[in-house]
Amino acid sequence: MSPEMLAYPFLFTAIFFESFVLVTLLSKPAREARERIKNTSTPSVAVIVPCWNEASTVEATCDSLLDLDYPKDKLEIILVDDGSTDATQEAMARFEKNPQVRVISKENGGKHTALNTGIAVTSAELVGCLDADSFVEKGALREIVSCFHNQQVVAATAAMSVHKPKNILQHMQNAEYSFGITLRHAFASVNGLYVTPGPFSFYRRETINKLGGFRYGHQTEDMEMALRIQREGYGIENAPRARVYTKAPSTISELIKQRTRWISGFLRNILGEYRSLIGSKSHGALGMLVLPTALLSIASGILLFALMLFLFARNAVSALEVRAGIPFSYAFLPHGTLDWFYLPASFYILLAVIVLLASVALIVVGKRVSKTPGNMALGLVSYTLLYGLVVPLWLIRATSDVALGKRRGWRY
Amino acid sequence: MSLVARNALIALFITLAISGTVAYAINYLNSARVSELSAIEEQLSIDSLSLETQFSLLESAPCDSSASSATLTTELADFGSRLAYAENQLGSDNSQVIRLKERYSLLEIRDYLITKQLAQACKTKPVTVLYFYSNAGDCDNCDKAGYALSYLRNTYPALRVYSFDYNLDLGALKTFIAVTKVKNSMPAFIINDKHYYGFTSLEDLEKQFPKGALSTTTSKL
Repeated sequence: MSPEMLAYPFLFTAIFFESFVLVTLLSKPAREARERIKNTSTPSVAVIVPCWNEASTVEATCDSLLDLDYPKDKLEIILVDDGSTDATQEAMARFEKNPQVRVISKENGGKHTALNTGIAVTSAELVGCLDADSFVEKGALREIVSCFHNQQVVAATAAMSVHKPKNILQHMQNAEYSFGITLRHAFASVNGLYVTPGPFSFYRRETINKLGGFRYGHQTEDMEMALRIQREGYGIENAPRARVYTKAPSTISELIKQRTRWISGFLRNILGEYRSLIGSKSHGALGMLVLPTALLSIASGILLFALMLFLFARNAVSALEVRAGIPFSYAFLPHGTLDWFYLPASFYILLAVIVLLASVALIVVGKRVSKTPGNMALGLVSYTLLYGLVVPLWLIRATSDVALGKRRGWRY
Repeated sequence: MSLVARNALIALFITLAISGTVAYAINYLNSARVSELSAIEEQLSIDSLSLETQFSLLESAPCDSSASSATLTTELADFGSRLAYAENQLGSDNSQVIRLKERYSLLEIRDYLITKQLAQACKTKPVTVLYFYSNAGDCDNCDKAGYALSYLRNTYPALRVYSFDYNLDLGALKTFIAVTKVKNSMPAFIINDKHYYGFTSLEDLEKQFPKGALSTTTSKL
């Protein structure tokens, strides 16, 4: 058996998963979600902004919330300083006199405690969260609120993009976020969401209280809450046109830290308290397809990377051995031909190309569905060239952390 | 049937259709490669026969004619590299690859004999290398030797290199091996009738060539 054959099951699964997403996007529930008209009802809403050392961004975050197209008497903004050691408190002080804004300071206890503090002081029907490094578009809240027209829905997520991507890494993440918009939109239509991200997810306050509020959730309180909502049989919706922009890590080291936290949090939650959801028929798409595929994608990411490294090393060693002693001008300079005969097409390579092309298509779909402005060209190029190389870095790190029981700080 | 189950079934069907299409495309490409090789091989057979016929017709003064096997040798080398690539893609046990390798070996032997005859008639001294390899897993240095010969052929166009799979089950090749007295120790070289076994480095291989044989000028043949 050739080593390439090890990749076949994962490539088949990837094609199946992407096909499922595309088919689900074309199904009636997703079509209806796209056609959903912004509801005119305006329930009372509280947006909690948990802050820990966010002095540089919290003002802009709060300004974007104040600028939301929503009746001022129905929108409350709760800034919670979770024991910051920088100038966050001073930055928040600017809003103290605004009747829409409530500023709270507390001892550091983690993001989930800041959210619970905010929930405890409000009587709003809907409560939302917005990370202090994120900014919302004017119409985002009305889009989100429309999701709650359905009484079965207890939570709703937005469409995230990267805020002003500058370097190649941020453009890559922007494309990835666009992919995420597509996935969330498709999975929401079959109630398959397992995370309600920090940037602008909303909940019915009553349900949150009934469920016991936010928990530590292995540093992924947004995922833990979504899994708890799903386990209890509630629905999580998505508003694909509720556009929100978040600051993305600008260096590979920051990105690895962030993603290690996400992936290890996912693994600890899903293999721990929420293991019963995996393969659960009563949880439909989430139990039978989304969670098993998410787990498989972590395994396949690591395996395909290891396989790629092995094949590259094997071919490189073999090529160097064969070329030893041959003049450089012949051995290492291209002297091939563009003849079709030598087209390096194999089953393995073609399947991988199809997986990549489908990913690119889903990224473009995400941009179109959410009507996110801006050019995605650089994002697509960087995603195509970089993503497969960097993802295994945090997959391996997070998996080994979970396997070895190693826990890292939020910002270590 | 639930929406999820229906979508999963459709997705499965799409996955199978895509995989089947990819498998068909790969198979089609490989068939096209074999067809291309067959077409080249057929053309080479005609060229080879034509050269032999020309040689026979002009037996009295072959050197004054336009009869030359240089073009044929170049085409043969191109055929060889395509065949090697196809063998790599389809596997050395593929029946079509084996058949084409047999035809290729026959063409090589024929070209070698014509080259020798012309050299004798025209009093020239072309440098020929008969290279015997094995891909049965018993020749660690065959890849290196093959690559070194590719380099030499590319650098010295006058050099004529003929490669043979020692284990190929072909009567003419077996006779050729018996006639040239090549031992079963791969890689094996016969450089202008001088036997040389094993491969250590390009430098050592070059030392086996007659003095001044490796020059960048092209031969008359």
